[in-house]
Amino acid sequence: MSKSQNKGFTKEEELLLQDFSRNVSTKSSALFYGNALIVSAVPIWLFWRIHLIEIYSSLILFVVVTSIATYLLALAYKNTKFTLKHKIAVKREEAVTRDLSKKLSEDKKMSKKEKDERILWKKNEVADFEATTLSIFYNNALFLTIVIICSFYLLPTFTPPVNYTVSIGATAGLLALLSTGSQ
Amino acid sequence: MYKMTATILFAVFAVAFCNPEEEAGPRLLVSKQILNRYLVENKDIEVKYTLYNVGTAAAVGVQLVDNGFHPEAFDVVGGHLSARFDRISPQSNVSHVVVVRPKRYGYFNFTSAEATYKSSDSSVVQVSLSSEPGEGGIIAFRDYDKKFSSHSWDWLAFTLMTTPSLAIPLALWYSSKTKYEKLVKPTKKAH
Repeated sequence: MSKSQNKGFTKEEELLLQDFSRNVSTKSSALFYGNALIVSAVPIWLFWRIHLIEIYSSLILFVVVTSIATYLLALAYKNTKFTLKHKIAVKREEAVTRDLSKKLSEDKKMSKKEKDERILWKKNEVADFEATTLSIFYNNALFLTIVIICSFYLLPTFTPPVNYTVSIGATAGLLALLSTGSQ
Repeated sequence: MYKMTATILFAVFAVAFCNPEEEAGPRLLVSKQILNRYLVENKDIEVKYTLYNVGTAAAVGVQLVDNGFHPEAFDVVGGHLSARFDRISPQSNVSHVVVVRPKRYGYFNFTSAEATYKSSDSSVVQVSLSSEPGEGGIIAFRDYDKKFSSHSWDWLAFTLMTTPSLAIPLALWYSSKTKYEKLVKPTKKAH
């Protein structure tokens, strides 16, 4: 016990900390911000071609609104992933255990404790992967749908810059807000 | 006294009864209508002129001219801005249609056209001005296009741009999901 305390957390404790923490790794963070930037920027095409917004005069507006939407969307991805991860981990526990047990059963040198640790790590990895991808898909689909509904059905009478700002900004804000829910 | 009264009364009746002679003869009423619902820059505008002869005699040598569409502002793409009708019978009408295309957008005042005609037994030229459609707004093509175009190619391009952001995460999640669900299924089937 004292040795592990001197060395720091055990692998199991580290995984538990990671599990209950909302922090994401640098790689996940880069993935979230990259996706959020792309999805926040794509609706500019619609506003340019269909709502006929002026590109050059609205350049600063595009940069500001896209930056804000990117941040909010990335926040939504992170929070949604955290919520989904626990649910997915419960669902995949049996399958991952079975899969890894089958693969590690032939390895007689590995202790039971090490095998359990590997199963726990794999379960975490699978849950992390599925939660990340599902969170990105879910938030992207919701974002694009709400932006289209807002800009074409709720706000078409407003000027294109106002329409753009409110549609993108409000949708990203709404998704960030919804993602903070506990369900 | 009585002679003076009778003379005055006779003069009044003479003036009153000489009017029917002036009403006899052709009388054209000309209507000028813009048939379009929307007036759009570089898109056709149909103008219909209808000449009604409400008089009692035929109108001959009818010349209809519309100088209201200046060549700098409009192109004539169908028909002519002047038309000639040899004879318009009493209580009948004729129509003439011209198609013009505005070169610029903005407000435009559609003025009257002019019809000149004569009676068959008189050389006096009568002039009739058509109704005036008034001021109309010719909207810019981009505004019309924004409202009415289907933007199919734009939507297709948008769909192509958004597909990777949706399809890739969904495919990755689904492949992982099906892989691990298959591992669980055989046990459930055994039960």
